[in-house]
Amino acid sequence: MEKPDLLYSPPPHLNSGDTVTRAMRDVLLALVPIIIVSIIFYRLNAIFILIVCNVTAACTAWGMRKLMGKPHSLEDLSAFVTGTLLALALPPTFPWWLAVIGTFLAVGVAKEMCGGLGWNLFNPAVFGRVALIILAPAFVWLNADMAPLHLRFGIIDVTSGATPLALLKLGQGQLLPSYSALFIAHPGGSMAESSVLAVLIGGLYLLFKGHINWRTPVFAIGTVFALTMLLGSNPFYHVLAGGLVFGSFFMATDWVTTPITDAGKIIFGIGMGILVALIRLYQAAPEGVAFSILLMNPLVPLIDALTRPRKFGQIVEARIPVIRIKTVSK
Amino acid sequence: MATRTFAGGIHPPEYKEQTNSLPVEQIDLPQQVIIPLHQHTGAPCTPKVNVGESVTVGQVIGDSDAFISAPVHSSVAGHVVAIEPLPYFNNTRVLSVVIEVEGDQVWVPDQDPLDYRDINVEDIRQAVRQAGVVGLGGAAFPTHVKLTPPKNKPIDSVIINGCECEPYLTCDHRIMLERPQDVVLGANIARKAVGASKVYIGIETNKPDAIRVMQEVAGEEQDMEVVPLEVKYPEGAEKQLIKAVLDRRVPPGKLPSEVGALVQNVGTAVAIAEAVTLGKPLFERVLTVTGPCIAQPKNLKIRIGTPVSHVLEQCGGFSQTPRKVIMGGPMTGWAQSSLDVPVVKGTSGIVALPESMVSEAKWHNCVRCGKCVKACPMFLLPNFIGMYAEAHNYDKAEKFDVLDCFECGACAYVCPSRRPLVQFFRNAKAEIMARRRRA
Ligand code: SF4
Ligand code: SF4
Repeated sequence: MEKPDLLYSPPPHLNSGDTVTRAMRDVLLALVPIIIVSIIFYRLNAIFILIVCNVTAACTAWGMRKLMGKPHSLEDLSAFVTGTLLALALPPTFPWWLAVIGTFLAVGVAKEMCGGLGWNLFNPAVFGRVALIILAPAFVWLNADMAPLHLRFGIIDVTSGATPLALLKLGQGQLLPSYSALFIAHPGGSMAESSVLAVLIGGLYLLFKGHINWRTPVFAIGTVFALTMLLGSNPFYHVLAGGLVFGSFFMATDWVTTPITDAGKIIFGIGMGILVALIRLYQAAPEGVAFSILLMNPLVPLIDALTRPRKFGQIVEARIPVIRIKTVSK
Repeated sequence: MATRTFAGGIHPPEYKEQTNSLPVEQIDLPQQVIIPLHQHTGAPCTPKVNVGESVTVGQVIGDSDAFISAPVHSSVAGHVVAIEPLPYFNNTRVLSVVIEVEGDQVWVPDQDPLDYRDINVEDIRQAVRQAGVVGLGGAAFPTHVKLTPPKNKPIDSVIINGCECEPYLTCDHRIMLERPQDVVLGANIARKAVGASKVYIGIETNKPDAIRVMQEVAGEEQDMEVVPLEVKYPEGAEKQLIKAVLDRRVPPGKLPSEVGALVQNVGTAVAIAEAVTLGKPLFERVLTVTGPCIAQPKNLKIRIGTPVSHVLEQCGGFSQTPRKVIMGGPMTGWAQSSLDVPVVKGTSGIVALPESMVSEAKWHNCVRCGKCVKACPMFLLPNFIGMYAEAHNYDKAEKFDVLDCFECGACAYVCPSRRPLVQFFRNAKAEIMARRRRA
């Protein structure tokens, strides 16, 4: 009989066919509806920001890995997911040089410098977004110098003024758009805020594909709803306006930077929801989704330890998880 | 059909249609058989024959005084041409007896069939041990040991495992269809040996014909019930099966006897029946030869020691070039680098996969997707164990319960980063056990 060239490798010898690349591709597909809405509202401005962020993300990932002597990993598409998420979290008229800086911080610092996909503690896109907000004062001089290079593609028919949440905060409820407008499509704020419906379609697709877990978004959004209502604000606006739905479905569900167990995901969702509500109601900033996620990210190792599942058949030992942590770290 | 199951697990494609309607066949004997003297969990056997000696079918050629061990018999008549360490399916070498096949190859019982009800428990265990019966589902644990539960752990339920949850394999399915009486007989004998009252026969619902046939036969018996189970991997794993059938959880590190259960595979039940009533040693077994690369996939009754290459020839050789030949099922079996290794007691199948089905993709960092956590039927955190084991941090791996992992491979099956988790766990376990021995 012929002697075939046989491969020895450990079991199992079958796999589900899932790959990181496929999952990332599905995330990008899930973002298509909101990208389409953004393009309808903001035309070339949306396309331009998306291109700027994605090109920067790809170059940064490639360049950083080159510097660190690692093979490039563009084929896992994670750089493009970060680039696209960050772009969508920006307003359409955002200065492109700041978008470049934000993307560089996201991909270069938050991801590659932390060891690459899988080792990052912070959600890269969220990190980039928050860095841009916090560092904004530092960029004033830059903005002044770069202003002549600012690109605008056509006129945007949005009052670039107050977003619904800001109006809510200012007590100008009479100016607020209707719920249905907010839900279906309403320009204003960051691109991803323009349609809850489009975001939900993408989120449901990811749920259907089994890439994300319903617990995080449901508990995050539910907590914000309950808490804002309890604290006397209008819960519907807090859910429908701003980046809550987008952040809950696309950023709080990030594999790498959120808890690994179901219970942990619930805790993460609730914690994030509480922070969002508190920031929005008691801080100067009208929006708080990115901050909340970024604040929850470093708690993930702790949440993981607290929610470690009880192994099969284990009954008596360690009913209270805290006790188990002691036994674990001893 | 109401189905029971366990928590966790995965749904791999079943790939059983190639062979599940093919009756068990016999094949021509090879010129030589290679019979390893350590085909079971426990102490290896020492040879009881010498080079040059002639042997008969069913003659003992290796045995051990240890309790956890099982004698090894010649599967053919002929003479011994060599006794030397030879390649074994698990990538090691095992002292093996090589027998040149010659003469009359039929085995005839030297007793009229006995009625097990007339045999006392001790004699049942003796007969099972002398016949060299081990678990035929793959683990190859000596059966007489399982039939001797600790005195302080009464057993009330015998579960016959007809799940066959590994993709591709259909030998247990065929055994249930073709020899239901013997399965029931073996179950009754096991029930008597451990003093249990109930017998359950767990079968996944993807084998409705087997469920029907077994129900018919079991229906005639006292306290014997067929339990349809959800099609899910690893439904046939001992602890998961006990959970599904009895809703009892075997505690970590404990045996099924802890919760009053005994699990026997259907093939083992038949072997028990033959050993006790006929005195037939375990020198042949049923296995499935299948996969996209096999010209004529078959369910075969094969003499132990038959080289894989001979089995494959008898199945028409390869229809396309295989990249992997697996002994056992594709989830837990061993990939072979040579086809000279022999079929042993624990070999439930030979599966040949083409290049297109073999993933040689590079693996990556864990991306913490949590899919392995959802899949693990032991409720472990395979992601963390894998990371620690990869980093050679075996203390941490142990604290994350790597020793409770039974290497079902569900976690590695779902991992989108294609991490070789089972390999990591094996390394960690080996290192932890080595340290314990040193300590
Ligand atoms: S191989 Fe081990 S860790 Fe992985 S799923 Fe099976 S029992 Fe769990
Ligand atoms: S399935 Fe793989 S990538 Fe996902 S958490 Fe488990 S080990 Fe990590």
